[in-house]
Amino acid sequence: MSTADKTKKFAMAYIVDRCVDCKACMVACKAEWQVPENDFRTHIDTGIAPAVTERLSMHFLPHQCNHCDHAPCVTVCPTKASHKREDGVVDIDNRKCVGCRYCIPSCPYNARFFNNELGVADKCTFCLPRIYDGLMPACVTTCPGRARVFGDVNDPESEISKALKNAADNRYRVWTLRKDLGTEPNIYYIQK
Amino acid sequence: MTKCRISRRRFIQGTASVGAALASMSSFRLLTGSSSAVAEPQQGVTYAQNWCEMCFWKCGLTAKVVNGKVRKLEGQPDCPSNFGKLCAKGNAGVFQLYDPDRLKTPLIRDGERGSGKFRKATWEEAITYVAQKTNELKEKYGPETFSLFCHGSGQDPFIQMMEIMGSPNICVPSYSQCTGSRDIGWALSFGKPVGGKEPVDSQNSKCIMLLGRNIAEALHVGEMQDFVEGVAKGAHVIYVDPRFTKTAAKANQYMMIKPGTDSALLLGMINYIIEKEIYSKDFVENYTYGFDQFKEHVAGYTVEWASEITEIPQEEIIKAAEKLCKAAPRCYVHPGRRLTRYGNDTQFTRIVACLNMLLGNWEVRGGLYRTIGFKYDAPAMIEYDKSHAERADGSGSEEFPLGPKNLGFSNGTIKAIAEQSSPLKGMFIYGCNPLHHHGNTDTVRKAIENTELIVTCEIYMTDTAWYSDVILPESTYLERTEPVITTGRRAGFVQYREKAVDPVFETLGSWDMVNRLLEAMGYENRFMDISEYNRLAFESLGVDEEYMKKNGVFIGNESSPYPVEDYEEEPSFRTPSGKAEFYSNLAEHFSYPPMPSYEENPVPAEGEFRLLFGRISFHTHARTQNNAWLLALHKSEVPLWIHTERAKALGIKDGMQVRLVKEGFKSNPCTARVVDYIHPQAVFLPYGFGHESKGLTRIVGKGARTSDFTSDLTDPISGAAGFHNGFVKIEIA
Ligand code: SF4
Ligand code: SF4
Ligand code: SF4
Repeated sequence: MSTADKTKKFAMAYIVDRCVDCKACMVACKAEWQVPENDFRTHIDTGIAPAVTERLSMHFLPHQCNHCDHAPCVTVCPTKASHKREDGVVDIDNRKCVGCRYCIPSCPYNARFFNNELGVADKCTFCLPRIYDGLMPACVTTCPGRARVFGDVNDPESEISKALKNAADNRYRVWTLRKDLGTEPNIYYIQK
Repeated sequence: MTKCRISRRRFIQGTASVGAALASMSSFRLLTGSSSAVAEPQQGVTYAQNWCEMCFWKCGLTAKVVNGKVRKLEGQPDCPSNFGKLCAKGNAGVFQLYDPDRLKTPLIRDGERGSGKFRKATWEEAITYVAQKTNELKEKYGPETFSLFCHGSGQDPFIQMMEIMGSPNICVPSYSQCTGSRDIGWALSFGKPVGGKEPVDSQNSKCIMLLGRNIAEALHVGEMQDFVEGVAKGAHVIYVDPRFTKTAAKANQYMMIKPGTDSALLLGMINYIIEKEIYSKDFVENYTYGFDQFKEHVAGYTVEWASEITEIPQEEIIKAAEKLCKAAPRCYVHPGRRLTRYGNDTQFTRIVACLNMLLGNWEVRGGLYRTIGFKYDAPAMIEYDKSHAERADGSGSEEFPLGPKNLGFSNGTIKAIAEQSSPLKGMFIYGCNPLHHHGNTDTVRKAIENTELIVTCEIYMTDTAWYSDVILPESTYLERTEPVITTGRRAGFVQYREKAVDPVFETLGSWDMVNRLLEAMGYENRFMDISEYNRLAFESLGVDEEYMKKNGVFIGNESSPYPVEDYEEEPSFRTPSGKAEFYSNLAEHFSYPPMPSYEENPVPAEGEFRLLFGRISFHTHARTQNNAWLLALHKSEVPLWIHTERAKALGIKDGMQVRLVKEGFKSNPCTARVVDYIHPQAVFLPYGFGHESKGLTRIVGKGARTSDFTSDLTDPISGAAGFHNGFVKIEIA
């Protein structure tokens, strides 16, 4: 078990222009975590706008657990199985999870599912303990488009800090999902 | 779900080796605690180097093995095919390895062909059976009675076995079904074929034009990485396709073309570029042949004319032409892949090549780079005399002088078997599936009927295996140690494959299997031991095995892929004139039109659709559809794309079950995907579904098999297939 490093705050960014919806991330994650056959911890949504604009356009939006600073799943969990770690990761303690499933509808990002094989709630864990072994999360490692950037936002030298700085310097569009809900997500979207 | 539970349990037993009591779900949870701590006992972890065999791009990968089970595959960071990345298919290799649907023992048919009745056999039995039958056939019909269809890393022993048996009828279907016309067209123009790893320098390109080359979905990691890099750096992407694909999503300019009219579009652009004199004059003057004739030849192909035929507005055509010329030479028009469309594809490639000539993008950054191979003295795995008999399909004959004798025409060979134009009675199949890859399943069925012995080497019970007499189950790539291979992209490199685990079932690698077959057939020739071969190869390659075991890939031969730019080398071409040829001397020599013209393709009748098919990013050919991890990505649905207006007229709503119909024959149900972004004249179906083999338990009977509906035309120059003149009706299931 990796103990949380208080000095760190993990986050992920998707450079959406680079995603091609190849779904390699979804399968890499499934392999890494032996996610049941028909479930996934991360998804790619396709948004197509043929009617709205003259020019056809299609966008791909990867999504998964947002590791929110004010995570509704943590609030509703009666056993504290869902908890926010000091390194920013929202984790589920399988020993404490009683399978009540309150967390699943509470997540505004639809990030959670019930793992029938384990009998617990499941979701993205930012690949703990891979990241403490010095590896990148499985989805980041495999992404052929290099659309996914991960790291410690407290470290200015981390790839994610650099990506966010670069986006700010170049005035790229940077956003998080459902900011209005005040969940303070830690997944950023970057678009040129 | 239950199936997965079994594998999960196996995994638990593996990790919780302290006691059987821990092998239950609840104790697993107790043992592991937090989900983040699915702790793997590190003592049992090993790594093995390999290259991916989920498609044919051969991405370098490292398999992580935990307590004797492959847990995870990751790309080799340095491999020039994929630089550390794997696609969805590549990642799903783990599922394939442990898939209970795999062929587990040799099988011998024990009922009518196609009844699916087989009896399990030992290897000894199966080998003896095949050897005896083949010797009988050889006795009766002569050595040329055998044909082989093969594709994949294990194909070589089968090819060599055929040579030893004395038959020239060896087919590598990727020629006929995919790249043949393109490579011949390119060779006629530039003096060399494109090659399997298309040397388009997307990462440095300022303008990229793709005609149905759907890089994001017919996905090869390395090519896709370069493309995304180019896009990120601001390349202007022009995408032409009757369908708005995921590659179109990355384009600055998308042109919905009327299917089958790509030649007209390019000729219109060429005409404009020449008229406006915006081509690369220096390149055209110094390094090309036949420009003046070509100029005259294309004079009638005006933008106006092209616009009428393609249904693309004139200003769009002009814009594309100008964007390319402005970016030249840092731009390219993609030579295409799976260029088996309308049966006149060699001439289409010639048009693509001529447009590239006008851009002067030869062996410079952002254009067409030079593939750097890895040349070395490969040891001989086996000694044999090559068969010099005539091929039954006519490849390399007077009719098709440019058809390569070593690759053959798989469609031509199937036809020869079906028609028994020569007594072809024994068919070997390795990693191929003629019932899917041929243009017309009726011909394949006839060929099957006329064959006395069909031997299939496979990892799954494919449709073709289902109709075989003997099935030899092959070990997957993760269970095989094989001879090293060399590959070329911007550098030449060596790839190493070492089995990650022992075979999960009673399977063999093809080298081993064929060695036993040769022995049983009574031939003297034997393959060298693979480790001995590798030792000799490493000596000649200048690398040691330790290095390969650790890194999996060795990059040698690093010269510049942009010699024209970097060494100021004069562009050179292995054509009769020594120049890039607008006017092909070789074509003329063989009495083909030396310059490409527009040829009209047949159009669907009222109420019919042209059937287009292609790949989706998470399946390869007809071989991965049964993989549960990949199936989950599309919820096992097989979509049929149809235009909104046309669907409406037929009463078809999005999500409805529909069938393809041709001459009374109906497909299995597909799910209608009613969209505005496909040309109304066409429907699109992803390739590789509609399996009839009950051995593919998850996908049998789902979706349509394209080969039941496509055309099976033959390109007059290359001899390769043409699939897209198949016309279908659609009805509600
Ligand atoms: S692997 Fe990368 S490019 Fe592919 S779908 Fe996932 S985020 Fe997008
Ligand atoms: S970070 Fe890890 S757990 Fe989360 S989606 Fe990526 S691979 Fe899956
Ligand atoms: S492109 Fe995908 S399937 Fe093909 S070799 Fe690479 S990882 Fe494997």
